[in-house]
Parts: sequence; C-alpha cells; structure tokens
Amino acid sequence: MENTTDDYKIQSFDLDTQMLLKTALKDPSSVNLVKVSNVIVDQSLKDQVFSKEAGRICYTIVQAEAKQNNGSVFRRNMLNRLQQEFKNREAMRGRSLQEWVCYVTFICNVFNYLKVNNMPMVALVHPVYDCLIRLAQPDALMKEEEVDCLVLQLHRIGEQLEKVNSPRMDELFFLLRDGFLLQEGLTSMARLLLLEILEFRAGGWLLSGTAHKYYYSEIAD
Amino acid sequence: MSDWTRGRRRDANNGEIENSSYGPSRWSNCRKRGIDGSLRADREVDGGVGGDNNRHADSSSKNSEKRPESFTTPESTGPVSRCSRQGDWGSQVEEDEMKKGVHRDMQRYRRRILGAEVTQRERKTSSGSSGSCDSKEGDHMETDEAVLLRRQKQINYGKNTLAYDRYIKEVPKHMRQSGVHPKTPNKFRKYSRRSWDQQIKLWKVKLHAWDPPAEEGQDNVLDNIEELGLGDVMDIELDFPNLPDSQNAPIPHSLSLDSEDCSGTPVKLQKTESKVEPEMGSS
Repeated sequence: MENTTDDYKIQSFDLDTQMLLKTALKDPSSVNLVKVSNVIVDQSLKDQVFSKEAGRICYTIVQAEAKQNNGSVFRRNMLNRLQQEFKNREAMRGRSLQEWVCYVTFICNVFNYLKVNNMPMVALVHPVYDCLIRLAQPDALMKEEEVDCLVLQLHRIGEQLEKVNSPRMDELFFLLRDGFLLQEGLTSMARLLLLEILEFRAGGWLLSGTAHKYYYSEIAD
Repeated sequence: MSDWTRGRRRDANNGEIENSSYGPSRWSNCRKRGIDGSLRADREVDGGVGGDNNRHADSSSKNSEKRPESFTTPESTGPVSRCSRQGDWGSQVEEDEMKKGVHRDMQRYRRRILGAEVTQRERKTSSGSSGSCDSKEGDHMETDEAVLLRRQKQINYGKNTLAYDRYIKEVPKHMRQSGVHPKTPNKFRKYSRRSWDQQIKLWKVKLHAWDPPAEEGQDNVLDNIEELGLGDVMDIELDFPNLPDSQNAPIPHSLSLDSEDCSGTPVKLQKTESKVEPEMGSS
C-alpha cells in the first residue's frame, strides 16, 4: 500500500524541508532523524491541515527506519517531544488555542497510525484521554474550536480508545452529557456537535441512517 | 573456578574506583549496576556461581533502599527513573514493543519445540554442556519475562552491529558450521546468569571477526569513542580479537561484561554514525 507523497500533505513546508522529508521516507539513515521529527512536530502545532494527517508520515518513517537498520531514533524523539508538549499543555492552551487544538489533533493522529504489533501504543492512552477530557471541561466547551476538535477525534479514534480503556471513556461521556444538559452559554453548533457524538457512541460508534440524515443531510456528497 | 571468582570480585571493586577517577561520565552511573537494577557489588557477594534468576529478584528487593531514584543509561537522553517502567514515552513504547516481541517469540518457540520434541530428545545426548540436562525442553524453558527481556536486549546489542550485518550476508544459515561460526545464544534455555553472560560475551567476540576493515570501521569507532566519553570502556572491547583464548583472560572481561549491558549502544551508534557521514560512502 504505497502512499503518494501527496497523501502526506507536505505542501505547506518549504521546498528544502519537503526534500528532507521525502529523503527521510526513502532513506532514513541518511538524514538527521532528530531534526526530521522536530520539523514534523513543530509544523503539526502550527498547521491544522497537516496535524490531521501527520501521523501517516510518521508511521512511514518509523517503518522505514526499522526496516533499514532496526533503529527507532525517529519514533523515540518524536514521542519524547510529544511528551514535553503534553507536560506543558495547560500553558500552551493559555498561550494559543489554535496550537492546543493542533496538538490534540496530532497526538490523536499519532495514536491512530503508530501501532506497535498492530496494537495501540499503551503509553499514549492516558495522555490522549487527558487531552480529550480537558476538551470536555466547561471552559473548553464554550469554545467551538475545542468542541469541534473533541468530536472529530472521537469519530476517528473513539472506538479504539474505548477498547483499550473503557472506564475513562465513561468518564469522558459523563462530562459530555453534563455539558450538553447543564452548560449555559453553549452555542447551538456546540450543542449540535455534542448531541451527535452522544448518539454516535450510543450507536456503537456508528450513526444510524436516520440520525445521519438529521445531522448531515445539508452536506453535499 | 574459585580463583576466577575472587579475581572478578576484586576487579569489580577496583573497576568502580577506576571509574570514579575518570570523573562522572554519562555512563559512570550505569556501569555500577546491571540492567535489572541490582548493584554489582551485591551480585558479587551473592557468589556469582549458579546465581539463578530467583536469587537476583531477591537481591534487588533487599537493596531497594540504597538505590538512587534515577540514573542515566545509554538508551536515554537524560536521567530516567530506576525501575524498568521508564518515564519517557519513547522508552515505554520500546519496552512495550520488546515485551510483545518476546512473548511472540515464546509462543513460536513453544510450538517449534512441541513439534520436534522427539528429535530434540535424541539430539540432547550429544551436547552435555552446562545447564539444561532436561529430557523435555518445552517443560523447562525460560519463561521469566524480566530475564527474557534482559537477554533479548543483550542479543539486540550484538545484532545491531556492522559485524553482524556482514556476517549474516556472508554466511547463510545452512552454511554455518558449529564451533566455527558464531551462533546466537538461545534465550529460552535455562542457564545461570553467569553462563548466559559468558555465552553472549563469547558470541560477540566471535562476531568481531566480521568487523569492517580498518579504514571504514575501526577509525570511526575511535573517533566516536572520544566524543561519547567511552574511552575506558571501548579500550577493553577492542582487545578481544587479539586474545587467542578469551576464556583465559577473565580480568579485563569482567569490566566489559559489567558494561556490556549498558554500553552496547556505542557499537550501534558507530553503525548509525558511519551511515550518516556522507563521505563514508554507501551501505
């Protein structure tokens, strides 16, 4: 299953960096993988489009490095950078909502693509939940960008997350129900998004045909 | 055998003094303890001979009060917590991956053994070396996860070298002659800690025969040694290929044996470094 370079959405990088990334995909040991991982993480925090699919390019580089020389320099550095940002996430959120939302999108994307022996990375499970639960707090529910981010991630990885840790998913959904019912000042869009995600999970991470019609009938196919 | 033990004990102590005289290097902490965390001095006191895995588990719990909270190992970029469940995500994922790999290997091995049980029993009578003299290998294989992980790490250090790469390219499995060609020790067999460590050491010594020629490999190693501050450790390792019979030179071995657990990475780095250098050419 070959991804074309287009799939990686690297057009937002300058040409030199694009070259660096393309080389990393084909011949990882010939480039500075620490630099590559930093480039990818930095861009993910700035570029919302990139952060949504950055996990894919990370996965390919990890596989390529492992195959070429059994190394894991890229993965190790990328994960540790993620961890650093995670530790400072509250400050990040205070500084820039956009960056925070990009971070959550990126870490969820990494969780989605970077598997170990086809299993999700155990080390990321709690951090991902911590991020999503933060997005479900009252102050975050007031921000449409955060609600939007939350429901997008749950659509993509909710089912997997629940499988690896069901109690925390319950914890998250208690907050979502409370938010939907009790939070004053929610925009109608926020309420719509919350209702949809509540129905989505209740339907076993699937929207019934009629529900789909209700929520998405306005959208052109 | 007792002389060897005594010599080793003495040198472990001298080794520690020597290490501190070089000043605190990145590796000085990790050389004092094995990968399972137990202090080397205490392992020596245990008597070394026939120290099987249960003993090590006991000694580590006894010494838990004395050990510092964190130390630096070659695998990490900074101090990490002492216990095997390391704080940084990179290490956690690697550890997790290795555990899954070991379990998968165990299942494969079990299946293989069960399938070939009869032929195994017949072949057993000719080996007769240390350790497992059991009629059914499947029942007496090593299953302790901590032991298997430690052994796997040691094997990985050996396999993650240019020498190993060259060796497997040059000598396909069916061409291998026992005794002549190095064979990876079987991590699923029951061996004492000392016996296993010795097998690993001898295996790596044999692999050195496939080290890349001087211009490519050795000079690069020497350059990297100074950068990484590993002079004291690597000097010992480089002596190996010249020894006619490695079993008769215990004293330098003990220091490198101690450091082997933690210092395998330099060889791995050597391999990575030489590939990163554009002038070094391909491969």
